[in-house]
Amino acid sequence: MNVAKLLDKRRVDWTELEKLCEAMELRGRTESVSAKHRGAAGVARFSSLYRAACADLALADAYQLPPNTVTYLHRLVARAHNQLYRTQPASPGGWVRLLLEEAPQRIFNDGCVRVATLVFFGLFALAMVLGASEERFPSFAENICGTKMLEATSASFEKPLSVSPDQYSARAAFYIRHNTGIGLQCFAYGILLIPCLFTLGYNATVLGATFGYMSRSGVEGGDHFFEFVTAHGPFELTAIALSAGAGLRLGVGLFHTRGLSRVESVREAGRQAVPIMAASAVMFILAALTEGFLSPSGAPYLVKVVWSIVSSGLITMYFVILGFPRRESTDTSLVRTARYADLVDSRDPHAGGRVDAT
Amino acid sequence: MAAVQPLDTTIGVVTPENIAFEYQLAGPFRRLPAYLVDLAVRWGAILLVGGVAVMFFGLMNLLSSFYGPLAQAVILIAIFLVNWFYGTILEAYFNGRTVGKWLCGIRVIEVDGRPVSPRSALLRNLLRVADMAPVAAIHTWNPDIPPLYVIPTGIIGLVSMTMTQRMQRLGDLAAGTMVVVDERKWQLPIAKVDDARVPALASYIPGDYLITRKMARTLATYVERRHFLTPQRRREVARNLSDPLIQRFDFRKDIDPDLLLYALYYKTFLSESHREPADLGPLAGYSPLAKDAGKPTGIDQSMIPGQPSSPAPLPLPTASDPG
Repeated sequence: MNVAKLLDKRRVDWTELEKLCEAMELRGRTESVSAKHRGAAGVARFSSLYRAACADLALADAYQLPPNTVTYLHRLVARAHNQLYRTQPASPGGWVRLLLEEAPQRIFNDGCVRVATLVFFGLFALAMVLGASEERFPSFAENICGTKMLEATSASFEKPLSVSPDQYSARAAFYIRHNTGIGLQCFAYGILLIPCLFTLGYNATVLGATFGYMSRSGVEGGDHFFEFVTAHGPFELTAIALSAGAGLRLGVGLFHTRGLSRVESVREAGRQAVPIMAASAVMFILAALTEGFLSPSGAPYLVKVVWSIVSSGLITMYFVILGFPRRESTDTSLVRTARYADLVDSRDPHAGGRVDAT
Repeated sequence: MAAVQPLDTTIGVVTPENIAFEYQLAGPFRRLPAYLVDLAVRWGAILLVGGVAVMFFGLMNLLSSFYGPLAQAVILIAIFLVNWFYGTILEAYFNGRTVGKWLCGIRVIEVDGRPVSPRSALLRNLLRVADMAPVAAIHTWNPDIPPLYVIPTGIIGLVSMTMTQRMQRLGDLAAGTMVVVDERKWQLPIAKVDDARVPALASYIPGDYLITRKMARTLATYVERRHFLTPQRRREVARNLSDPLIQRFDFRKDIDPDLLLYALYYKTFLSESHREPADLGPLAGYSPLAKDAGKPTGIDQSMIPGQPSSPAPLPLPTASDPG
């Protein structure tokens, strides 16, 4: 077998395949190469050329092709493979299912979310109690947050809440960027465990101490402060705990492998963490919209309280009703539906095994 | 399978067509430039959106004061979206490539060779923050600068890349992806033989000599690389193979080992086995066989370019390489 001649013969096809790959990479279709590659004909031509290149690669050893030609063929097949098996863009239905089905199920069952929630709300409550008791721990809140920050917070809530409506969108955008960013960062640091726990604990303590300080009787602006935080509190605090929980899931997957290899364990944890993080990001955005549009508005306190109760109820429903462990509809279930025709068929002696199964 | 794998950064992928092809993994030195390009593109996109928003809402501002904060909102949301989801969106829609990856010829794929799924792209891009840790704060060296500006050092990602087989950072590990080299252009390499002595020598190689696959591969590798070696090194390398061959072919001992391997390569890959004898020109009548050593030859030393005139009856002196 003369390799040079073989290469000359096959090179025509390879060059054509390369041209098609180039066109696919740039425009996602093949018709720019030539007129005969338009539409279905082009796709068919591409796939047959790809299969031919695959066959050449498979036979490279038998043809005794020189190594650098084999390398070339590897590249060519890889390149064509990448064009043939492209990424499927995410469908909107997939994201809805992720948020409404997968995420609550995971959240309900995930130990890391429970730990993160306990850590966050536990530290938050503790810091709030410590910050509020003026007699026992007079300087706790100041030590945690700094006197300057507390005074600034107090001063900014002295006047009744009435931000002019044209500022709402900018405020909401700021909260989306800032708070969701912190949540995503907390999630990402989760794979290293310590930074995630630190961020979680830090936020819990500072928020708790501020809440406690503002609830002291002598502090100015306390009423307005609580009026401000009522509406978006449920979404925001839950979202922080959730994002940290998702992050911890990743980190725990790295260290606690449960019999899998470490890499496989991290992948599994990543698969589980994405829905939780997605739910958390949605909550952050809802919280930011509330914080931007409802919280600073001059709307009656009752509206904010009602929204707070409604949002808490929504979150609870989301976690409990959508998240309650569902039994998969498997064959182990005693009750199942079957069409009459199936039942008649199953009496057939040839399908004796199925009679037992029913 | 793992026992014979070369110590290299290639990774095999078996396609649905049951063909195994190889990818070369991309290491940190290919990925860093891609990241820097992406960083520039990201901020370019933000500036573009910001500029358009300011211009558009600036015009609208003449009608109502409502649009000023709206422009601010658009810019803030743009910063948020672009900074966190630039990589995800581009990788999901452009088959595992961002602008930087496209320029640097690399691509993200799943570890099993499939294209990257949007979910994996999301996870690996969100976790980039952790890979960039720990951050070095500038105000450590200059206390006047507020502790806002930090430089990510990327040590965690680098350590993770060096310690995993597929050079994955933590985000890649969690998402089950890897980054491979996927260059656009590849030249089809064919070594050309432009030395007139090669076909001549090749025609004397006995027809019953069967070249094994291993030998063919060795010859091709040798001929591809011989241009990078000096003639002395070539001979030194080639001697290991050519000495047994000279014995086997019954050739003269003073044949240039490099030339013999080159001729064998020519015979294996380039010549037609049933073609009429090559046009030997001035080399006609020359024989490398040991039994013909005493015969007069038609070779004229001066006909071969670049050849030092040597007095000895060496028909094919070793030191020349006109190619």
